[in-house]
Amino acid sequence: MPKHYRPAGKKKEGNAARYMTRSQAVKYLQVSLSVFRRLCIFKGVFPRDPKKKVKGTHQTYYHVKDILFLKHEPLLDKFREMHAYEKKVKKAVSKKNKDLAERLLTRKPTYTLDMLIRERYPKFIDALRDLDDCLTMVHLFAALPAIERENIQAERIHNCRGLSLEWQAYISRTHKLRKAFISVKGIYYQAEVEGQKVTWLTPHALQQVMPQDVDYKIMLTFLEFYETLLGFVNLRLYHSIKLKYPPILDPRLKALAADLYALTRYVDAKDRTIGANNEESELRLAQLQDQLPANEPGALMHLVENVADDNEEDEETRACKTLFQNKTFFLGREVPRESLLFVITAFGGVVSWEGDGAPFEESNQDINYQIVDRPTQSHRFISRDYVQPQWVFDCINARIILPTGEYMVGKVLPPHLSPFVDNEAEGYVPEYAETIKRLQAAARKEILPMPGGEQDDLENAQNLLAEGIIDRTKAKEAAERKQKMAVHEKQYHQELKKEMQGMQYTSDPNIDEIKNNGEENTDDMSSQQLVKDDENMTMVSMSRKKRRLYEAMKISQGRKKANVETLETRKKNIQKSKKTSSN
Amino acid sequence: MGREREVVSRRIREHSTNKILTRSVLLGFRSVFSAATPDSICYTAMGKSKSSRKGKKAWRTNISTQDIDDFYEKSSKDALSGGSLTEVPSDSLFFVDKSRDLSVKRKIDKCREKVLRVDSILQKNSFVQAIPSSTTKKSKQRQKEIQRAPSSSQVRKDGTMDTGMVDIWNDEGANAVKKRKVSNKAILIPAVEVEPPGCSYNPSSESHQDSLAHAVADEMQKVYTKELRPTPVPLTVVGEVVDVEDMYFLDADNESDGDVEDKEVDSNGDADLEKRPFKTKRVTRVELNRRARNKEKLKMEAETKKLKEFSKDLNSLPDIINEIAKEDEEKSKRHLRRVFAKQERLKSCPPRLGRHKFEPAPVQVLLSEEITGSLRKLKACCTLARDRYKSLEKRGILVPTAKSGRK
Repeated sequence: MPKHYRPAGKKKEGNAARYMTRSQAVKYLQVSLSVFRRLCIFKGVFPRDPKKKVKGTHQTYYHVKDILFLKHEPLLDKFREMHAYEKKVKKAVSKKNKDLAERLLTRKPTYTLDMLIRERYPKFIDALRDLDDCLTMVHLFAALPAIERENIQAERIHNCRGLSLEWQAYISRTHKLRKAFISVKGIYYQAEVEGQKVTWLTPHALQQVMPQDVDYKIMLTFLEFYETLLGFVNLRLYHSIKLKYPPILDPRLKALAADLYALTRYVDAKDRTIGANNEESELRLAQLQDQLPANEPGALMHLVENVADDNEEDEETRACKTLFQNKTFFLGREVPRESLLFVITAFGGVVSWEGDGAPFEESNQDINYQIVDRPTQSHRFISRDYVQPQWVFDCINARIILPTGEYMVGKVLPPHLSPFVDNEAEGYVPEYAETIKRLQAAARKEILPMPGGEQDDLENAQNLLAEGIIDRTKAKEAAERKQKMAVHEKQYHQELKKEMQGMQYTSDPNIDEIKNNGEENTDDMSSQQLVKDDENMTMVSMSRKKRRLYEAMKISQGRKKANVETLETRKKNIQKSKKTSSN
Repeated sequence: MGREREVVSRRIREHSTNKILTRSVLLGFRSVFSAATPDSICYTAMGKSKSSRKGKKAWRTNISTQDIDDFYEKSSKDALSGGSLTEVPSDSLFFVDKSRDLSVKRKIDKCREKVLRVDSILQKNSFVQAIPSSTTKKSKQRQKEIQRAPSSSQVRKDGTMDTGMVDIWNDEGANAVKKRKVSNKAILIPAVEVEPPGCSYNPSSESHQDSLAHAVADEMQKVYTKELRPTPVPLTVVGEVVDVEDMYFLDADNESDGDVEDKEVDSNGDADLEKRPFKTKRVTRVELNRRARNKEKLKMEAETKKLKEFSKDLNSLPDIINEIAKEDEEKSKRHLRRVFAKQERLKSCPPRLGRHKFEPAPVQVLLSEEITGSLRKLKACCTLARDRYKSLEKRGILVPTAKSGRK
């Protein structure tokens, strides 16, 4: 009976036993480093940061259980098979055994990532949570050039582009887009799918540069995984709105490479059984490859006409659907077409553009808005507004149709604010945001008839605060005003009483006044005192942890206030300097 | 005279050890012809005598004129044949052979044509029968795959081929997936972080100033760290030219050091040698008793001291308790601070995972003069790949490497 013993140097417990370095892991799994990296990315195994790094701080540590988990992965076998296959092919070629090499090339082993995705995301909601990174990566690669050196093939880029367009078509068809923000890096979008907020970033329509300090092999591995994931997500989403996936596109539009338009025609015509065959996808690929630089996405026009109502639409979706309803847009040549198409149709508008395959021409009489970005524009049609593209994005973020006066051609645009920032929380509200809020309030007032204008500020201050029409400071001011009014009322009533009682009023005016003031003061004081007492009571009853948290909150609030004050002083200074410079 | 000349030249040819002919030698050579017969050379019947090598006349016998003769022959031949080869242009001597009709077969190709014995054995021989082997794991797997393959690729009713994509979230309970034993810690940093409003393409002035301040602060921090860093030791130092005299001094210094060391060693050795004849003194009983008494005394003193300290501590017990309490409080506060600081740090950058530190990407903010307010003229960021890569590093999924830190 062999005595069980631990080999010399192997630890039994503690951090040394629980974590192993990367080289140890590679040796344990008996694979090469590149295969190990790919496997880690596919399986979602990340290096960890143990408290005690046994083999030195310059090493990367993995948990032993993670590595054991990797060991039982069937993909490992596949990778080894592929490695062996490659060796066989190389041997056959070098021995000048052509027919063997050809025979082998037909039998290349492949692998799929379906089981992995199922393992990592057991429910659909988990996949939605991880969709941010996936979407951003796929959109990025759809815009990258195909560089032979880094092994990025054109076919993969086309595939990415197809996936991203399918996703965009779904979002705009179901009106799930909520926010859009143009920044220097690109355009941020946020959509809400099945209760989950998905944020992603699309690059601008520039030619992307490949910086040298990025490891593209790793990016391509991530891309492989995310492509599969997005494919499955799209499949499920399309099945949920009862469409076939992968979508089969109109060949004429494919020939013009108007992908998005073709997609939405497909999405729209779900009832028609378009005879599909495998050749179509190949045709599409070939045509797309020919027209790579001149890809033009299409419009989601017909979509709006045959809308199949989903009964499970929530309020927001309905609000978004009706924003640009019955409004027709025309895009100039110099504006970012793809993003505008996506955004406008997601909010119910009808779009066209210049070029082949467009739904309608520039001279169409129904067009309400023409989006241009030139310094001057001769207004050839009087019935339509000529606006700059920022108007569309600002409308979307504000959820109302803003007046086009400030966005006309050639004007200096108001600042493009970020919808991702909660102005209330920051405490600082930029000027333009306030104007937007007033407009929103105006729009809402049109919809809901209100009895009086001024009184609302005082009486329904809390309601208005809750609706976000006025901000907290204004609400506080309103409340103070209300309080003062109440105090004045009380005073008035008291004076009336005294008049009724007799002439005692005139004899002790000072005292009464003082008393009243005192009362007022005491009222104020008592109210303040009450507030303070409440605070103290709660502070005493809280546990130490909660008290510390409360204090930390107070400190951060104080800091924010200080920030706001500095910003306001800065604004004042700028205005002062403007005035002095103008003078 | 003519006969002497012949003799001398023959002599020189025979003793051709010394080949260097100087001008003086040549002169001497000439003077030989006019001088009288040398006395030191005497011929015996046996041949050359062992005469002394010293002396001009004896030395002249060892001169060989082979070089001069060769030169004269060569130049006369060149003159006869029309110029020396060194003056001819290389074009007339050499030409580049660009003809391709020569088939150059590399050695390795010649070797490859030969069929190896291994391969010839492996080629199929109908007389050899295959031995039935028991099914291995790989072949079992293959069989399973083949069984599964035809069932999945079914053709649907309307003639469209199912591309094989099935909704994997459809049948939830079919394959119960094992949960991982050690799950990854939740990553606090979101995958796509939306930039602050100052990074908008047309920002409001206040938020723009904010973002600019951030970017400027980062840059200034880098500049300051570079400046305040201690200057690194240079690899090479420019040296001064040392005079020849100084070199002698240097050498002398080196030598003198060596001498001094040697001398010291010697002196030490001498001192030891001197001391060794004296033996160590014997320790007497008196000395031993004295030592014991001293030891006792020291012990007693140490004990009393200890007692004194103890009583002092007892008296100041509450103070000690207070001190301990304060220390504990400070420690706990410090611990809390560290924990909170670590959590805060985790929200903005990853823990140290390898050799290199994480370098966050610079804030993409437009400079004040670049804000045109027009989407068409926007100087957009064209290196979005780097943004994705840095996001992966920031979340701790990728380990930063030397290449990713450098620009």
